[in-house]
Amino acid sequence: MNTALAGGGVDARGFMQRHGVKVFVAAVVLLFVYFAATTPNYLTLFNVKTIIRDAALVGIMGIGLTFVTLSGNFFLLSMKETAALCIIAFALGMANDYGFVISLAGALAIAVFTGAIQGALIGIGGNPIVVTLGAAGILYGVASWWSDNLVISYPRPHDAEWLGTGSVLGVPNITIAFIVIAVIAELALRKTVFGRQVYLIGANRSTGKATGHENLSMAIKVCIVASVCCAFVAVAFSAQLSSAQANYFSSEFGSSGDFTILVIATVMVGGNSIMGGYGSTLRTSLGAIFISSVDNLMVLKGFASGARVLSVGLMIVFSIIAFAYLRRGRRSEG
Amino acid sequence: MTAWLELRGIKRSFGAIHALQGVDLTVNHGEIIGLVGENGAGKSTLVKIMSGFDADFEGEFLVDGKPAKLGSPQNANAIGIAIAQQELSLIPTMTVAENIFLGHNRGPGVCLLSTLADLSRPLLEQVGLANLSPTTPVRRLSIGERHLVEVARLIAHEPQLLILDEPTAALGESDSRRILAMAQHLKEQGKSIVYVSHRMNEIFKITDRCAVLRDGRSEATVPSRELNTDKLVALMLGRELGAMFPEKPGAPNPVARFKVERLRADRLQSPVSFEIRCGEILGIAGQLGSGSGEILATLAGARKAHGGALYDMTTGKSRLPASPRQAIRRKIAYCSPDRKHDGLFLGRPIMENLSAPNLKKISTMGLLRAPPERGQANDIAKTFTIDAGRLDQEASVLSGGNQQKVALGKWLSIEPELILVDEPTRGVDVGARAEIYAKIRALANQGAAVVIASTDLLEISNLPDRVITFFKGVRTGELAGGEITSDGILRLITNPEPTGFGASAIPQAS
Repeated sequence: MNTALAGGGVDARGFMQRHGVKVFVAAVVLLFVYFAATTPNYLTLFNVKTIIRDAALVGIMGIGLTFVTLSGNFFLLSMKETAALCIIAFALGMANDYGFVISLAGALAIAVFTGAIQGALIGIGGNPIVVTLGAAGILYGVASWWSDNLVISYPRPHDAEWLGTGSVLGVPNITIAFIVIAVIAELALRKTVFGRQVYLIGANRSTGKATGHENLSMAIKVCIVASVCCAFVAVAFSAQLSSAQANYFSSEFGSSGDFTILVIATVMVGGNSIMGGYGSTLRTSLGAIFISSVDNLMVLKGFASGARVLSVGLMIVFSIIAFAYLRRGRRSEG
Repeated sequence: MTAWLELRGIKRSFGAIHALQGVDLTVNHGEIIGLVGENGAGKSTLVKIMSGFDADFEGEFLVDGKPAKLGSPQNANAIGIAIAQQELSLIPTMTVAENIFLGHNRGPGVCLLSTLADLSRPLLEQVGLANLSPTTPVRRLSIGERHLVEVARLIAHEPQLLILDEPTAALGESDSRRILAMAQHLKEQGKSIVYVSHRMNEIFKITDRCAVLRDGRSEATVPSRELNTDKLVALMLGRELGAMFPEKPGAPNPVARFKVERLRADRLQSPVSFEIRCGEILGIAGQLGSGSGEILATLAGARKAHGGALYDMTTGKSRLPASPRQAIRRKIAYCSPDRKHDGLFLGRPIMENLSAPNLKKISTMGLLRAPPERGQANDIAKTFTIDAGRLDQEASVLSGGNQQKVALGKWLSIEPELILVDEPTRGVDVGARAEIYAKIRALANQGAAVVIASTDLLEISNLPDRVITFFKGVRTGELAGGEITSDGILRLITNPEPTGFGASAIPQAS
């Protein structure tokens, strides 16, 4: 006459509500450990370093995007197009012998400018998806037109090589940059007024406005942060290849499909709230490393690129479901 | 006579929190039971269980003396229990008739609007909306009418028991009366009603018995005619409550601190001027839609002004703040009537809520400093009797009363000189209510100028030193000192009807 009244199905549901996430995480970890242990060359120091290095580029852009998502401004769909324009600008600078510093400054200036405009449009009430979808078209168009859609290459040795292929004590510089940026971003979120405002406005935009924190300036700031991260990744990527082309971040190139989707996947798989106000850049960094681990495993297992793109899509879907479930459980205890 | 419904030893825990620790309740045919208790006493948990939204409970559930299976809203429906929730589930763009039959899948597959309209008329009649055309879109209805339509929709399923969860919380005086009349009418037809409300006068007026919950236990079930405010409050709190309303200072400061000049705000028919004095609580009385709330929001920059000035007699500034940000800079604090919408960051820790209006105070060069933030939060928590041990928890875990204390208390961080509070105690239980009144008075005594707007006659006639009344956007009077009575205010904020209405509808100060 007690809970038995409610029936067995409800008990199972209750169990899943309390332990569902643990069960889910345990299953994923077990599966992962099984495949990792049965795949030769997977758990070697060299391969682990490869995984983190591969996570670095997409992870840095993910960290930038996390600020946008946490502040309640959803996603920028123009991440890879911003990177495309910046990589063209940087490579043209390098090819015309302006040197690393000026080329980098040019790429960053473009990122700040385009980020600010997108942020302003979002801040005055534009839908982030629509605004950045439009911006994506414009940015890619400009990048493609400016470079005549050609590969721009500049000869080695050049003064950006340290960023692209250099390493310290065997750790690639891009990995070090990833770690440094992750730490700075996490500190910025937790310890600065700006970071606090990101969380507050993301948690409740109306209360944010009522307590003097307006989304207009916030949207501009977070879009600049995201765009600057895109620019940095573009510069590092170009330095690595000593060249650039507008489509370097599109699905034709690279391993696991569309770069923007990969970046969004790092934010989602890390378990940041899509609605904002809850999450961290640390989560995004771990999300990037997890995705990279799975991708690397699939490469070693000999999966085709289609299957790897599919796995990223599945990870996004499952993480959204799992984390929504987790948060609902947490809230209902109030 | 056996009860229609009987709950025995209902228990429910959320982790370590025992929300219900053995609740008994009986419901007979044709009776209205008031379910009362402080926020956090377990009312909403019990209501959720009774309406089938919460399956994870222990205890017996008998209908007509036989065990019944609850655990889903469908089961509750089958037993004959329906709930009208505070948040309405009507679709504004559809007509009344369509809304009533939404989700019904009996009858023919194709249904003409005129058929639905004919079917819905008797239901609308039952809830006192006989004059409403069933083909009106719901968005044209007042909030009160929407509540009644929601009930009409529920009784289409012919439930035996109807749970009304704070049906009048967001309603003005006249809409509330319609809800009460509807409840009486359904009772006369043999239906049972569980009525959840914080409004004492309603509880006394319509309920037959009161079930009092305290700390998750059923404290007592008492016939309502044996109760008065003091007795009921004592049962709810487990102790005698001192005075509900704080003492007013003898002679308020006559010097104006702020002057509102020819303010043109939404809903106001003509410009309004008045002054706000240091150490005084000014009340703005009016029903929903009277413009009283709009005046406060406009003074705080939360709504666009159509003209006017706000003179600060100390600094000489005269412009109305164009945004909350500007208002905060001028040390103007504003609490909207909807704390969940724009008064709190529910998903963030209480401490962050308390420091949000003034991050400058707890930072140097853009870097947050933890000690001053915690220090300030502790101070505010002490002043507003918020449990200091919970400052790191999310604001969403707090009860309505404690949430309101956080929503109000956060403004201490800007050291406000003008405090505007719209509906200071909406959805707040009686114990926290007295505390909030005391704090508002204390802020005034410390020299702040305070303005409150309220549709609650009890508080608007007892808390302020001076009251300005509004009816449909027109200023209808000003009362001060001994002139402030609930009768006097009620007359000024309602359209004088030829028949008048029963004095019993007028709450008296406790």
